Amino acid sequence: MLLDIHDVHFGYQNETELLQGFDLHVERGEFVALLGPSGCGKSTLMNLAAGLLHPLKGDVDFGGKPLRGLNRDVGYMTQGDTLLPWATVAKNITMPLEMRRVPRAEREERLNRVIQLVNLADARDKFPSELSGGMKRRALLARSIIYDPVMLLMDEPFGALDAQLREVMHQELLNTVARTGQSVLFITHDISESILLADRILVLGGLPLRVMEEIRPPYGKDRVLAQVRTEESYFELERHLRDLLRDADAETKAAKAAANVN
Amino acid sequence: MTDTSISPTTAEERRATRAPRKAPVRISAGRRRVENLVLQILLIGSFLLLWEYASDRWVPKLMVSKPTDIWAMIVRWLQDGTFATNLWVTLQATAGGFGLGAGAGMALGFLTGAWKRLGEVLQPIVTAFYTLPRLALAPLFLLWFGLGMEFRIMFSATIVFFLVYYNTYFGVREVSAELISAVRIMGANQFQVAVRVIIPSALVWVAAGLKISVPYSLVGVVVAEMLASDQGMGYLLSRGASQFSAAQSFAAIAGLLVVALVVDWIITKITNRALRWKTVGLPQ
Repeated sequence: MLLDIHDVHFGYQNETELLQGFDLHVERGEFVALLGPSGCGKSTLMNLAAGLLHPLKGDVDFGGKPLRGLNRDVGYMTQGDTLLPWATVAKNITMPLEMRRVPRAEREERLNRVIQLVNLADARDKFPSELSGGMKRRALLARSIIYDPVMLLMDEPFGALDAQLREVMHQELLNTVARTGQSVLFITHDISESILLADRILVLGGLPLRVMEEIRPPYGKDRVLAQVRTEESYFELERHLRDLLRDADAETKAAKAAANVN
Repeated sequence: MTDTSISPTTAEERRATRAPRKAPVRISAGRRRVENLVLQILLIGSFLLLWEYASDRWVPKLMVSKPTDIWAMIVRWLQDGTFATNLWVTLQATAGGFGLGAGAGMALGFLTGAWKRLGEVLQPIVTAFYTLPRLALAPLFLLWFGLGMEFRIMFSATIVFFLVYYNTYFGVREVSAELISAVRIMGANQFQVAVRVIIPSALVWVAAGLKISVPYSLVGVVVAEMLASDQGMGYLLSRGASQFSAAQSFAAIAGLLVVALVVDWIITKITNRALRWKTVGLPQ
């Protein structure tokens, strides 16, 4: 087991505790999607896994060891544009290596590999302001995988993209992690995104946060998304998840309203 | 509604009778610049001619002098070294005031921006000092530093300090928390976050603060020299007025104008170079 969030309690001051004995496990090579209404606490889980937040009670284990401080064995990609605007694409992508004091020759070599992987070889000397939205996403993906983290933490990484680009990025992400064997913890509120990408979907909701249902889309690691989209089971899953998500949203809102009254 | 509605025949008639519009003219950028330059020269030239003509005819010459007299004064000062010595003093003080004010402003701005608690405590205090009219400090500064270089430098520095401080403070505060988290997870320590992310991010603001504060540091020095000194461009300015020689004052102003333009040009070049990444890829 790679990530083991075990019996964790967490909350912000003067608020109802968001997590009261929450469990979340991710296996090596597994793609787990956290699906839930906005504001339900998905990002809090991710920040616990990243070591940006620490549990009040309970353990976060990573790679079999309890997590202390920041988790430097993960790649971290959010919805925001976190490329450094004053550095070229190549400089941006190799920055994690620079900070880990990887020698120059090896940096070059790894850069060449990942930049091919995300189809950005032509843009290596451009500045982020010269890139399209999709190219920025690719650069961010390249940056978060270049140091071979065993796990990617992705918080609505494609939220700001248009539908068509998102489809392209989905397939590219799947191909990439299939090749590298990385685990992914993927946060989204987009139902179809979760079905298309995940090996396992956790539908989250309520306060305290709980797993409303766990679903395993049956499409395997080397799925072709254009094909998945035409399957009957895909539509059934989508319908089912839509109902679940509506319930989760209602429950979260009701719980929050009740918490505010007290 | 019914009154204003147009029947098809009249609409057609109108279309038939309407004369075609002239196509809009597109002038190349270079041509436009030359044209603008010519217009500017004409405007300034005619103003100078009007001045020359009006002096002693409509307005007493004692008050406004006239361009030919001013020019003669500029030439004389250029030849006898008055410009050189006084400009040198003013420029030294400007550089000193700018350096001191900008250095202190950046340091405090960075500290208060990066260290949240310190910022919360110090920021209102700084703002209180900012609202104080800087001119009110002049008598005290004279008392402390005397008539010399230190007075000019300190007076100018107090003006520059606040401009740079605020820009740095907000620049540092603007850096997104998401970006900092991402960079830390990538493996950066606190020092690397500061050097690789916060300082460069804030640089856009800092550069803007530096750019606007350069002319202010010159203003600070000139005001200080006008208040109390026996050297510098500000001294020349006020001496001219006190001797009823408007030509001297105008000559000093002309000298300052040239200096300010040159300094601004240099600063623009430097900041544009440092911020090149910000402008590439954007439509010019």
